[in-house]
Amino acid sequence: MAEMWISMGPQHPMTHGLWTLKVKVDGETVVDTEPDLGYIHRGVEKICEARDFTQITTYCDRLCYASANTWSHAYIYAAEDLLEVEVPERAEYIRMVAVELQRIASHLMWLGAYCPDVGNLTGMVWCLREREMMMDLLQELGGSRMHYNFPRVGGVKRDLPIGFALRCKAKLKLFLERIQEYEAILDESTIFLVRTQGVGYAKAEEMINHGVSGPNVRAAGHNYDVRWAHPYSVYDELDWEPAVERSSIKGSDCYDRYRVRVEEMRQSALMILDAFDHFPGGADTHYSKEDDKIFAENIWGKAPARAAEGQTGFHHFEDSRGESMFYLAGGGAERGKHPYRMSIRSPMFITIPYASKCMIGYKIADIPAIMGSFDPCIGETDR
Amino acid sequence: MAKEVSAEQAHAAAEDILTDITDFGDSVQVEIRHHTGGRRKNAYVYIEVVADEWRNLAKWLKKSKGVDYCSMITGIHWPENAEATWQVVVHLMRTGVYNPRIIDKRVHETKVDIASLSVKETPLEFEISMTLPDTRTPSVPSVADIWVGADWNEKETWDLVGIDFDGHDGMRRVLLPHDSPTGYHPLQKQHKLRYHDFNEMYDDAQGFGRKPEDSGRVK
Repeated sequence: MAEMWISMGPQHPMTHGLWTLKVKVDGETVVDTEPDLGYIHRGVEKICEARDFTQITTYCDRLCYASANTWSHAYIYAAEDLLEVEVPERAEYIRMVAVELQRIASHLMWLGAYCPDVGNLTGMVWCLREREMMMDLLQELGGSRMHYNFPRVGGVKRDLPIGFALRCKAKLKLFLERIQEYEAILDESTIFLVRTQGVGYAKAEEMINHGVSGPNVRAAGHNYDVRWAHPYSVYDELDWEPAVERSSIKGSDCYDRYRVRVEEMRQSALMILDAFDHFPGGADTHYSKEDDKIFAENIWGKAPARAAEGQTGFHHFEDSRGESMFYLAGGGAERGKHPYRMSIRSPMFITIPYASKCMIGYKIADIPAIMGSFDPCIGETDR
Repeated sequence: MAKEVSAEQAHAAAEDILTDITDFGDSVQVEIRHHTGGRRKNAYVYIEVVADEWRNLAKWLKKSKGVDYCSMITGIHWPENAEATWQVVVHLMRTGVYNPRIIDKRVHETKVDIASLSVKETPLEFEISMTLPDTRTPSVPSVADIWVGADWNEKETWDLVGIDFDGHDGMRRVLLPHDSPTGYHPLQKQHKLRYHDFNEMYDDAQGFGRKPEDSGRVK
């Protein structure tokens, strides 16, 4: 049969955002693909050259609407590397709670979007229901529902609200029970298994060479995680293990990538529950902003506002979708108040080309299942 | 069991690179640097390399030192510095990821024993910097065939900063529209944001006074 190119996107349920996947098909079989990105390129890197270090946090929140906190924290750690700032221990714990809650919310958003891709609408409704709990908790921390603007250079915006630990524990315990419900409707659904098992094989070494990281690599059977390889924050004090999936000889398929994310949500929830027992100062304490000195010692310390030319900072961060990274060069406008150059490493920008190559040899009907299983997010891809 | 790579392990791994990198002579300057923020001041390897030697260094890092992951390639434009107008910054990592072992026809997932990692396997960060003098056609060798992950990073760097990668197959616009004018790379410093200072923006919230930076000039 004659080969031909067809365009999937920019408006297509498979894309989870605005981009085009050009697919070359021979009958029903995919023989070549070419992703076309950049539909929502906003020039964040350029804009940030005219913003000071606190203002940039809000732009980083908006890099990914499903995972705002992980992005603003990734930036804050790089900014602290540039400005040579140390953070109070309690603030590190609060950040960890915020990031892991966001990771759960992001994976729920992914599962909620992935279920309809493979013909399971109930999964979407259930996931969004539980995501609501996480968003309520994050709203208590940051003040808004999606873009929290929560971390600050030198700490976080405010302490845990009174009673937060209690509500968070109750919700996470409920959530841990509900994860079993997802497993029940998905692992026992023949349609879900037929659509996800045995398609989209990817091997660990190949993925690393292609720059793919995070849950996608852990699904292929290796527990590499930036949180232990290049440690930051307080993960060493907590009881957790990176989720890792036992893949098949051919590598990880879509089903492994689903399993690893469900397991990762469970690990994040257990991690937060464990953290409340270790909080310096106690999880039920609330340091108000009114007492400046105690607030600065525990929640938000002092930080310089300027970085000189020649100073640089970077930080590798375990985002919900892989390894994200910010590189900052100091000495920009306003006598160093702005970065001279800010560069963002988006995990999905690198993963989408790989995922597109991953679907060669499968049928057209497998494209949504394979693409969705890598968790694409176009906000961060196009920046 | 150790839960994370310790500062000593990272430092020992960086020392190992420093002792073995002697083959390149003057074209490579290496030092161990430490992160300055956060709770840990982990070591990483900082390398300054002459652009012509970059491919040899990359091959050596991949083959002899197991550097298997290209995190980011980016470029910076320094128009006021004639000797180093263009800078390319590469971030590499050694992850040590391998395919899961098959024992008795059964795949076994890998759970790394962190404490027993040798200096050749410890995860390590690399920052590599290359500078080019003032030129209208900046170009460094491509490493997309060594790490496939470098492919789209290089495309992006050319697209936004305008630094070309010699030997890169299929360079094209990735984030900007495909029909963007030739030679237009917005992260070069001659392109200014319309409002370079946020105060100007607040003074003109409605945008009535908004004019492009180059208005009135003959184009």
